[in-house]
Amino acid sequence: MDNKKNIEIKNFFIFNSSYGAKENEEYKKILYYYPFGESTEIQIKNIGLVEGIVQFTETFRPSSYVSSLHTNKLRQLYFQPELNFWIVMTLSVPLVTKIKDSVSSNEYMEEDIQDNVYEAILSQAYYMYRLFWGTLEQTLVTGNADILRNRLDTFFNAYLKTVKLSNADILNLYGGIQYLPLDRQTFLKVQCFVNLLESSYGCIEEITFLYNEHVIWSGIEPNDMKVMYQYLIGMLLPANIETELQGGSMPRNSPFATLKRGRFITGPTNLKQAKTVGTVPRVYLFSNDCFKEHHLAVYRCLSATVCIFIKGDTNLTLELFKELDELINPRLSCVVAEIAEYCSKQIMPSITSGDTIPKFIYFNKINLAYKSTIHLDNKQTENSTCSKDSLKIMADMKDQNEFLGRAGESIVKTKNDYWVVGKNSNFREFYIVLQTKNANLIKISEEVKKLCDNELKGIFFHPF
Amino acid sequence: MASNIEVEPGATKESVLIPSECLENFDHMSSSLEEIKSENNSSVGSTYEESNFVNSNTDNFEDAIDKEENGSTPEYDLGNSTEWTSKNKHIFVLSSAGKPIYSRHGNEDKLAWLFGVMQALVSNIQSSDDTLKSIHAGDTLFVFMNKKPLILVAVSKTGECVNQLTLQLNYVFNQITSMLTLTRLNKIYEQRQNYDLRRLLAGGERLIDHLLDFSEKEPAFFLGAVQCLPLASSVRDSISSAIIGACHKIKNLVFAILLAKNRLITLVRMKKYYLHPSDLHLIFNLVQSSESLKYSQHHWTPFCLPRFDASGFLYAHVSYLADDCQACLLLLTVERDVCDVLSEAKQKIVEKLRRNNCLEPINESIATPEETAVNAGFAEIRHYLYKCKSTAQFYQPSLAPPYSKEKMRLIEIYKRSNQQLHNTARPLKLIFERSANEAIFSWDTTAFELYVVFEPLIDIACAIDFVTKLLNWVKKREDKLFHLNAPTF
Repeated sequence: MDNKKNIEIKNFFIFNSSYGAKENEEYKKILYYYPFGESTEIQIKNIGLVEGIVQFTETFRPSSYVSSLHTNKLRQLYFQPELNFWIVMTLSVPLVTKIKDSVSSNEYMEEDIQDNVYEAILSQAYYMYRLFWGTLEQTLVTGNADILRNRLDTFFNAYLKTVKLSNADILNLYGGIQYLPLDRQTFLKVQCFVNLLESSYGCIEEITFLYNEHVIWSGIEPNDMKVMYQYLIGMLLPANIETELQGGSMPRNSPFATLKRGRFITGPTNLKQAKTVGTVPRVYLFSNDCFKEHHLAVYRCLSATVCIFIKGDTNLTLELFKELDELINPRLSCVVAEIAEYCSKQIMPSITSGDTIPKFIYFNKINLAYKSTIHLDNKQTENSTCSKDSLKIMADMKDQNEFLGRAGESIVKTKNDYWVVGKNSNFREFYIVLQTKNANLIKISEEVKKLCDNELKGIFFHPF
Repeated sequence: MASNIEVEPGATKESVLIPSECLENFDHMSSSLEEIKSENNSSVGSTYEESNFVNSNTDNFEDAIDKEENGSTPEYDLGNSTEWTSKNKHIFVLSSAGKPIYSRHGNEDKLAWLFGVMQALVSNIQSSDDTLKSIHAGDTLFVFMNKKPLILVAVSKTGECVNQLTLQLNYVFNQITSMLTLTRLNKIYEQRQNYDLRRLLAGGERLIDHLLDFSEKEPAFFLGAVQCLPLASSVRDSISSAIIGACHKIKNLVFAILLAKNRLITLVRMKKYYLHPSDLHLIFNLVQSSESLKYSQHHWTPFCLPRFDASGFLYAHVSYLADDCQACLLLLTVERDVCDVLSEAKQKIVEKLRRNNCLEPINESIATPEETAVNAGFAEIRHYLYKCKSTAQFYQPSLAPPYSKEKMRLIEIYKRSNQQLHNTARPLKLIFERSANEAIFSWDTTAFELYVVFEPLIDIACAIDFVTKLLNWVKKREDKLFHLNAPTF
């Protein structure tokens, strides 16, 4: 019987290579180290090895610093987010143990770990930290190394538990955002609502408006939005929807009113009973190379989520939240109703068999928009409509994009006789999986052409 | 698509070469020498302790005084050596103990510290019962091969992948083995871990240097195949029979190989014994990198074929046919003292070839470049590679614009496609890729591999049509382009 051991985090550490230069003070370099039980000696040794590798590779003047190290059993990934700060993640290579004639043999599935995918996960971890705590350097300037160690501990101990390794794929590479396209009228209503809020309160800097898991309006920079979106979709909203579902007894008492009534999900979540403003996270948005601190108040009503970025120096009071609630609630429920109505009209003709839906992923580098009919949800579960291998082939193709230049396409047929097609042009990427029986290259290219016409009307691809 | 093509150009029942998968594991080595000797009752004793052909001094293991123990070699200041750092591929060979053996660029002694670092990295990872394979840093890829008793390292900015660099390192290892035999190599380090192998390889750097250049620009290496000199099959057959006629009575002659211009003319082998393409590549390398062969009557040298038998030497009689025919004949035997017999046989072969008018066709083929794809009637095909898997032979047309001036870019395209088809975890059957520069069609079937580079705007249906026609074209000429008979002594 075969036994498979999945990819796992073997260790994850952060250090500053300019610290602890003196002998016997190397431990000062360590800022964060997971797993916690590891002896300082081993921690120092592992950091020493990374420093050695960095130095060795620099000898040959690579175009960028070292990003990964492959051994038979492990994969180590490196990320230097700020000068002298290194974040290192070591993964165990998936292992298949085959037992044949009562002799077991290990086979390490090295190619199962795609560097580009896991590098994206590593840098994502840093950007998520930075969203809440600012740069590492900043903490050192305003505080000291011990404060930094504390913050890293608090953040990463929790964060590492949420990292999903085994189902990571090309979507991690994009860190894309799903948008909801609206008609002009409805979009204008959202815009009016956003403008009203912003102009009513000087302390409100930016607003982001989501419906379900789709962004309708975002005032913040795309790169910030990318991280923000991951935080909302991956952490904040799922946790909240769970509590909403658990509080199932509430609607019975006051059936409609409670349901329709919106509420803050960060800050005072129950305004009637609240005595303080509760916890409002601080976030750091980076634009034009400088960062600004904000309070992040998130308001949720029906399926809509409104993120309000309040100036960092604002004194948050319960009054402010009550006023906001008064202002937001009646207007937002109207806007949401209209969006819901619009969406209900747009529902695609129902599809009966899963096989007939074209399976594709689309990504636009300019606005980070993505669309996938391959992933059935946003949660990185096993839920996808095509094999893991075809997703891996897409990530392989993406790695080759540079070679194809600014515009190119590739069509490949796998050993299992399905086809994966990648197109890339004008900063847009489009990947399709086709499982047509007995197809040939000509048929496939025709099918892809049809698909582009149907699904991506008006999006410019080079007319190959 | 497979259904409308039934031809398998270049296929044959019995192959002159062992069919190879291009990136297969090289660890497997057969042991044939003992067998041949015992079967034929060879009078010669063990050849293992044979002295080395590149270094006629018999070595004394005791006298090794390490150069750096003398303490006067300054470190290379790489900060100022942009020339060194800007090389697009470095290859290093060191002993497991970290002793420098070979560096493609720069002086190993001055780089001793770097060899030390590489050894430290390898052994550090080894200490946790693991093996260092590669390091990735932007455009630079570091590949490590720990092949006891040596460590080989490639540092490349060429865009080649780990498997391809590993293949190249394997060739370097095999080249070293071919000069020493694996048995001897192991014995040396068993006896003295700190041994400075350069003393034994003196002069061998040239072969490694040449092998590296050679393997970078020749498709033969990543395809694991050889290209033949186009000759009418009747001519090729009569050349083979001339060789058989002159040699069949010579005991323990294992292979007779005739080659020219980096192409195989014929290969006659002892029954039961086959040559692996990678061994043949080393032979090509030996001939190519030894200009002096052209001016000497013959050359007699021990030569180990690592895939054939890594434990001992064969002896090669190497000579050019005649002043008026620049084809090179190699006669490989297990006997160490039959040089004269083989010289005599060679004379007979040349006489026979001359009498049968075989030298002119060879000369003519050497002088005539292959047709370009366009000249052969394939208007939108710029270049292609066709490899017949069962015979480990391939064919390519002459270079045409735009690649006549950028051959390396073409080779890179092929290497990339080859790697995509043979991806270890996710192999593919077929790829059609289009960039602004070209359209590339790659196809891996059970019988053959085909890589075609088209004009970038070609229509897919049109491309398929060309592919079908191309396969038929090759099929029609297979007698000429490939060595289809597998003659034996």
